[in-house]
Amino acid sequence: MIRNYLLTAWKVYTRRKLFTAINLLCITLTLMVLLVVTALLQNELYPTGVEGKSDRYLQVGTVVSIGKGGNATRHSPLGYKLIEKYLKPMKTAQLVAAVTGPRTVSVYQGDRINEVQMRRADANYWKVLDFVLVDGRLPTVEDDTRGRFVAVINQSTARKLFPGIQAVGQPMNIGGQSFQVIGVVEDTMHLNSYSDIWTPISTDPSTEFRNQMWGDFSALLLARDASDLPAMKAEVAEIAKRVQFDDPKEWTTAIMWGDTKLDFFARGLLNNEQNADSGAAMFLTIVAVLMLFFMLLPALNLVNLNMGRIMERSSEIGVRKAFGASSSQLVVQFVIENILLCLFGGLLALLAAKGVLLWLEGSGLIPYLDVDINLAVFFIGLVLATVFGLLSGVIPAWKMSRLNPVQALKGAA
Amino acid sequence: MFRHLLKPIWRRKSRNLMLSLEILLTFLVVFAIVAAAGRCYQLYHLPTGFSYDNVWSVQLEQPNEEGSKDGGAIVEKFRRGLQDLPEVEQASLSSFSPYLSATWRSAVNLPDGGKQAETDMLDISDDFFATLDMSVEKGRVFSAADEGAAETAVVINRQLAETLFPGQDPVGKIISDGEPGSEARTMMKVTGVIEDFRNKGEFMSPTNFVLKRFSPVAENAMIRTVLLKVRPGTSRDFELKLSQQLKLIRNDWSYRISPLGDLRKSMLQETLTPLVVLSVIAGFLLLMVAFGLFGVLWQNTTRRIPEIGLRRATGATSADIYRQIIIEQLLLTSLAMAVGLILLVQLPITGVLGQNLDWPLFLGAAATAIGLMALVSVLCALYPAWQASRLSPTEALHYE
Repeated sequence: MIRNYLLTAWKVYTRRKLFTAINLLCITLTLMVLLVVTALLQNELYPTGVEGKSDRYLQVGTVVSIGKGGNATRHSPLGYKLIEKYLKPMKTAQLVAAVTGPRTVSVYQGDRINEVQMRRADANYWKVLDFVLVDGRLPTVEDDTRGRFVAVINQSTARKLFPGIQAVGQPMNIGGQSFQVIGVVEDTMHLNSYSDIWTPISTDPSTEFRNQMWGDFSALLLARDASDLPAMKAEVAEIAKRVQFDDPKEWTTAIMWGDTKLDFFARGLLNNEQNADSGAAMFLTIVAVLMLFFMLLPALNLVNLNMGRIMERSSEIGVRKAFGASSSQLVVQFVIENILLCLFGGLLALLAAKGVLLWLEGSGLIPYLDVDINLAVFFIGLVLATVFGLLSGVIPAWKMSRLNPVQALKGAA
Repeated sequence: MFRHLLKPIWRRKSRNLMLSLEILLTFLVVFAIVAAAGRCYQLYHLPTGFSYDNVWSVQLEQPNEEGSKDGGAIVEKFRRGLQDLPEVEQASLSSFSPYLSATWRSAVNLPDGGKQAETDMLDISDDFFATLDMSVEKGRVFSAADEGAAETAVVINRQLAETLFPGQDPVGKIISDGEPGSEARTMMKVTGVIEDFRNKGEFMSPTNFVLKRFSPVAENAMIRTVLLKVRPGTSRDFELKLSQQLKLIRNDWSYRISPLGDLRKSMLQETLTPLVVLSVIAGFLLLMVAFGLFGVLWQNTTRRIPEIGLRRATGATSADIYRQIIIEQLLLTSLAMAVGLILLVQLPITGVLGQNLDWPLFLGAAATAIGLMALVSVLCALYPAWQASRLSPTEALHYE
């Protein structure tokens, strides 16, 4: 049965090659755009590589402080004191790392000045994230405690700052402070690992940051096992209730959450900083609805093309109907045909998406981008293609099945 | 003639409905892009109110934001220290640098509470105007002479002046930043009016603006930036010298030095990138629709070959056929676009988008979008129409 459908489908597709080509082109373009978006999202939310342990750690990026009487609220990244005093002693976490957001700094080399991004990170940061070391070594606890002025840079920055020479061991002047390069790591573009230069937190020009509740830090909390995350989330929420500000009269309550990547983005985009629920489900729904919406126009386009095709096939439909095929059988046949075409278009789109991503990586539009189309993206691609096939196939199929056999046999729709 | 043409369109209404729906959606997408691009063009050609040539910004990053008690005196020390450098022509202070996405919004009232307006604000020192080559339309800029006055001196932009003092001379008027009766409100006296100040640069929507005088003896100052007008031709090497000078003034602060030109470049890029990405995606959509339209029209004409044969046999010339098919397509497109326009015209009528979509922009964008859609549909109809018109009547009548 299915074999017959496939044969008919093949014959139909080869009969009018130009239309099939146009059909395929539309399908491929649509799915390609959607696949590129999916791959970028997937790469950001469920990364592999440097942040491959993302399913095992939570991050606390923002603390919301509520003032007396609830009138004033203040959203800020964490201060180091908050991490050191409250988050470091956590029972459920294996490691707690502190890292600042990337800041623009200037590197002075003689009369050359380069603007680069720098993070300050503690030794645990290097254990939570799996940086690929190309040369030299990574900072250790000793570097932190002794306050050594050492720096890790990434490959691109090494090429930019020290062209043609070995970067490790070179001195560099960052914003007026002298550092020595001790390691070179591969470029990465992820939420917590994106930067050009990393230095220990103890190299901050002032020690004032150690007494601050608000600052520029995020905390990464590594669990022993992925299944510990719920317990860790609960503990973070518990800790937030105990937080005392320096001036408890002015600021009474602190709110902070341990977030997975998905939670983090959902919370930020949907402004859920004060609710326990990050709105991750809502976020995914919005993404799905936007994708469906994007498919609407191409689907209409395909519907129009498909309607024309049915009319060409009216005599075939007449014969099928005259020999007793039911409307639902015809609908199923047509929808299957359409889905098959969409799946084939999806495969082409996958190749095209890979091409676009390679171009994106090469163009430097997004620095250090390295996106791979993995199994999950492939699977989402299949789902997208099927949904698209259904969306664009059902109306023409329904119209086709309603044809009057007598009229259809005569070839006049 | 039109009735004649409308009839075959109406006869195939269910098919044409889908096609029109597609054209309608495409029209909306094209309109949105054209309107967005038009708005960017409009904004780009509005004055920003200042010049970024040879201006550098130094962002001061205090290690501890709280508890900077004698803040005014400290930042004033920075200004003096930098003014002494030979490369610096003029140094001034402001809350934050132009071409950054920082915003400080506040409400200002007339002292009796009569009128209120939301406005952007910035604390600046007296020499800010000279540093950025700004000039006033009315009144004067504030200066050291305003020190110690009961009201803080402010310069406001024309839009705010027209909102608060319609038809009156705003110079010398008093405004305040709190409701009447509230203790902590500051009274401000307007010393001058500028045409506009759009601190986020060329693509910022015009808004109300208050430039408030920063007093060097103030206890708590919201000053985070020193702006320097450097001598023309100062090279980037100056940054190292500047950074050393800054470290001499305060060693435990950190500084971010950038020429305003660089900040402007990244600000422009930040604004344009999403627009470009959206346009590329929309371009793909349009391409697809064009292909689809082409396919559908071709199918339509193929199906109508017997009809065309009949017309040819009864004496219609090939030019007639050509015209018929193209006009039919244009009619269909116009119908869809008319519906689209009825929907879109609600935007400027209700004014949901405010200044972002005024009537000239709406009309311009609508005309461009209509032109584009008409062009695409004619282009898509050309080949099928040409094919149909070439058929000889005998062939057409025999066509199976």
